[in-house]
Amino acid sequence: MIQIQNLKKSFRTEEVETLALNNVNMKIEEGEFAAIMGPSGCGKSTLLNIIGMLDNPTEGSYQFAGHEVGGLKERQRTELRKGNLGFVFQSFNLIDELTVFENVELPLIYLKMKKAERRGKVMTVLERMKIAHREKHFPHQLSGGQQQRVAIARAVVTNPKLILADEPTGNLDSKNGIEVMNLLTELNQEGTTIVMVTHSDRDSHYAHRVINLFDGQIVTESQNRAMGAMM
Amino acid sequence: MFKNHLKIAWRSLKKQPFFTFLNTFGLAIGMAGALLIALYIYDELSFDKMFADADRIYRIDSDIKFGGAEMKASEAAAPMAAAMQRDFSQVESTVRFRDRGSLLLRKSGTEANTKELRVTFADSTVFDFFGIDLLVGDAKTALTQPNTLVLTKTAAEKHFGIRNALGQNIILNNTDTYTVTGVIDDLPKNSFLRDHTVFMAMAGYPDSRSDNWGSSNYFTFVKLIPLANIDDFDELLQGMLERYMLPWAQEFFPGMTKESFEASGNYLRYHTMALTDIHLNSNRQSEMSANSSIQNVYILCFIGLFLIVLASVNFMNLSTAYSLKRAKEVGVRKTLGSNKRELIRQFLTESGLISFISLLFALLVTMAVLPFFNELAGKSISMPYTSPIFWVIMVVTTFGLGLFSGSYPAFFMSRFMPVKTLKGGGQSEVGGGRIRNGLVVFQFAISVFLIVSTMVVFQQLKYIQNKDLGFAKDQVLLINDTFAAGNQVKAFKEEVLKLAQVESATISSFLPTPSARSNSSYFKEGAMTQENAIQIQTWDVDHDYLGTLNMDLVAGRNFNREYTGDSTAVIINEATLPVLGVDAQEAIGMKISQDIELDRPQFYEVIGVVKNFHFESLREDIGALGLFLRSSTGNMAIKLKAGDFSNSIATIQALWGKLAPGQPFDYQFMDESFNTTYRSEQRLGEIFIVFTVLSILIACLGLFGLAAFNAQKRTKEIGIRKVLGASTEQITYRLTTDFLKLVGIAVLIALPLGWYAMNKWLEDFSYRIEIAWWVFVLAALLAVLISIVTVSYQSIKAAIVNPVKSLRTE
Repeated sequence: MIQIQNLKKSFRTEEVETLALNNVNMKIEEGEFAAIMGPSGCGKSTLLNIIGMLDNPTEGSYQFAGHEVGGLKERQRTELRKGNLGFVFQSFNLIDELTVFENVELPLIYLKMKKAERRGKVMTVLERMKIAHREKHFPHQLSGGQQQRVAIARAVVTNPKLILADEPTGNLDSKNGIEVMNLLTELNQEGTTIVMVTHSDRDSHYAHRVINLFDGQIVTESQNRAMGAMM
Repeated sequence: MFKNHLKIAWRSLKKQPFFTFLNTFGLAIGMAGALLIALYIYDELSFDKMFADADRIYRIDSDIKFGGAEMKASEAAAPMAAAMQRDFSQVESTVRFRDRGSLLLRKSGTEANTKELRVTFADSTVFDFFGIDLLVGDAKTALTQPNTLVLTKTAAEKHFGIRNALGQNIILNNTDTYTVTGVIDDLPKNSFLRDHTVFMAMAGYPDSRSDNWGSSNYFTFVKLIPLANIDDFDELLQGMLERYMLPWAQEFFPGMTKESFEASGNYLRYHTMALTDIHLNSNRQSEMSANSSIQNVYILCFIGLFLIVLASVNFMNLSTAYSLKRAKEVGVRKTLGSNKRELIRQFLTESGLISFISLLFALLVTMAVLPFFNELAGKSISMPYTSPIFWVIMVVTTFGLGLFSGSYPAFFMSRFMPVKTLKGGGQSEVGGGRIRNGLVVFQFAISVFLIVSTMVVFQQLKYIQNKDLGFAKDQVLLINDTFAAGNQVKAFKEEVLKLAQVESATISSFLPTPSARSNSSYFKEGAMTQENAIQIQTWDVDHDYLGTLNMDLVAGRNFNREYTGDSTAVIINEATLPVLGVDAQEAIGMKISQDIELDRPQFYEVIGVVKNFHFESLREDIGALGLFLRSSTGNMAIKLKAGDFSNSIATIQALWGKLAPGQPFDYQFMDESFNTTYRSEQRLGEIFIVFTVLSILIACLGLFGLAAFNAQKRTKEIGIRKVLGASTEQITYRLTTDFLKLVGIAVLIALPLGWYAMNKWLEDFSYRIEIAWWVFVLAALLAVLISIVTVSYQSIKAAIVNPVKSLRTE
């Protein structure tokens, strides 16, 4: 599903050029659950942003489902993102002014789906995330765990092929964290590819594969055998 | 999608009440100000358009130079109308007015008079010509017979009901009897006839049938046939000089030709002034009603635009500043698939919403202040609620304003990158600082400009009011229409002089206050030819005139009761000296006469030269003038001793009531009468103040919001500085000076502009101030002071916060 070759990303300020990713090569198969780990500043989030088509690489190739997306313009990336990708963030990033229902509904609006159809889909996913009873609440009225469940609902409501999760449990206590990881695992078992950036060893064990980054380069890759079994 | 945009727009406005308040309030004030100005301008532009065929009606104006005096008259000669009708196929119809000023009216058989301020003779065509319907009477015949008149509804109701008005007899000025042949509705406030209440049949005014082409006393209106070319018609009018005026003049000046007439530097040019242009573009001697000026319309237009732009700029500034809080939302939306265009649409929906909420407030504010504004502007404007066009304009303008104000913030925010905004839930910094600063500079530059302008307008007004006018206007009580007392006028003066409160009193035909006057041709002894004609105003005065008004003589003497020969004496003013070509001493003993055509002309000997005194507006130069010792009954001026004026007035009124029973006692103080000359400047000044305050208020709202935002943005910095030992004062100083620098730049831009613009404005005055340096210093200090007060509240608030809290917040 994802094929990255010789990918480089550098950031230039007025005087300094920082190489955030240096010659990254990786492949993620459909249905895989991959975790990207590494110390702060190693380039994890940069890599996830590029995979999520929020940013373009400086050099190298990035193919998504067989299409080269590395050099696409912002509008083309937006179009490709819609319906194909779902995002889950550490800080949830729910829109404060929208209710739970409206937050989850938003990606469907951008897909120009009809209202009745949207309602059905949103309610289904909210029920699945066990948050339907809170559909009219605003984000600030929910606990952290509930907010992240809404964020996951929003990420999966379009049935995306790929979910990108950036430290999804970083702002949660362990109980809520486990709940979120179980949800992601469930989605993965149903066929959704998941790429997750994490600091947490525990979370990384949910993944099939752990990719370790250091100073912008992949230093090790390891396979997990018993996903979630330890939990 | 739009519903979604609207919903989120509403919620985000609710979530930031302070920001929403500043934006809505600022926009509402700007809109209300601009709406008031728009209504004012609309009213100004609507003048005389209600008349039938207004677009085909023109007034004939005359530019005359004869005998050294130049005159721009709004009148033409009596025979002009008939001549045009006869000679030019383009003319459909004509009408003339001959102003009678004010008259006293009473119903036959009653004693009490009422005063009508604007009375005019009018040709019988007047009602058909302007499409004015008669409430009673027949428009075609109403003014065909001598001694008939038509009243407006209000004037008629003072004496009898409208229904039984026809056929009633009215006594004018206690002498002439007129029959009422019609009643018309009161004339529209936005017409040149607005103050006219009595129309007398021109048929009863013999002069109107004279062939005198030499004096221009008739307001002459012509209606051209459809499609007639006005330039061609103007061209035709130039032929009137040779065809009519010169043949007529040759009777008095035999041998005068066009060449000799022009060789003496004389001219007579007729031209047309469109009826609908009169109110804003005509500023001639003796207009039928006081006109306004297109310049004022332009000035107000600019102020209105300024207000809207200021409010818009506020919106842009605050929105981009507060966009920090929206950065996460933009990031999320982009991540979820929203493109730039959709985001722009969303933010424009928000600005549109604010704009429409502001419109509601603006309408409320306008409704509330309209009565005060009307008083200020001397208008009776009402909100055109029932006009669909008004609402269309309102909605379209509001929509446009929303788009305009929202455009920059929308494009600005839609450029936020999700990768930057999502991590940690916010954009670490908000760009556009330079543009925001530029906008603050722009706002304050406008405010400072308006402050300078207001100060200059008021200084000029004060200068005019305090200028040595060459006569003393304080404590002088004017009694108008003393002729109503008939042969009792002299007795009245004598009785008044006996009062202990009265210093002196004089009766004259003219006073140095606004009045319709005209020049007459005089000739020096020994130079009684047309080429040597000089134009001098003729004022009839009594022995006490100079004394009562405290006028000084620069040569010669005042009229003296002991000299019987003074009845053929004249006192001229200094301005007459260059016309006579002599100095003050040489002038004494000179003789002048009007009677060029007589074998034994009546000469008047110059016995004194009075120091120039201002009798026209200070916009005009002082003209040549002669004071002649003749009895008149027009106006009485009474110099009162200091003390209880109301008591003095009551005593004088009681005397008047005894000697002139039933006649109206119409009085005013001379300084008040003088001030009405400058009413339009005064209005302009007051309007300036109101809108300057509004613009400063809007600019301050913006600055206040920005200061709040700035303090919030720098919470962490402030905390660190405090931890490191900075005092509250140091931090307040630091936060405040950032804004003061911007205000300083604004001052530097605005002051030269203000200097330039106000010097241009002052050029219109013959007597004007020079703009003092301290005006600029004061304007600058005012701007700085206002901004310090505005900003320091937020700065101090931020500076006194416990650093532990500031740092934790971050």
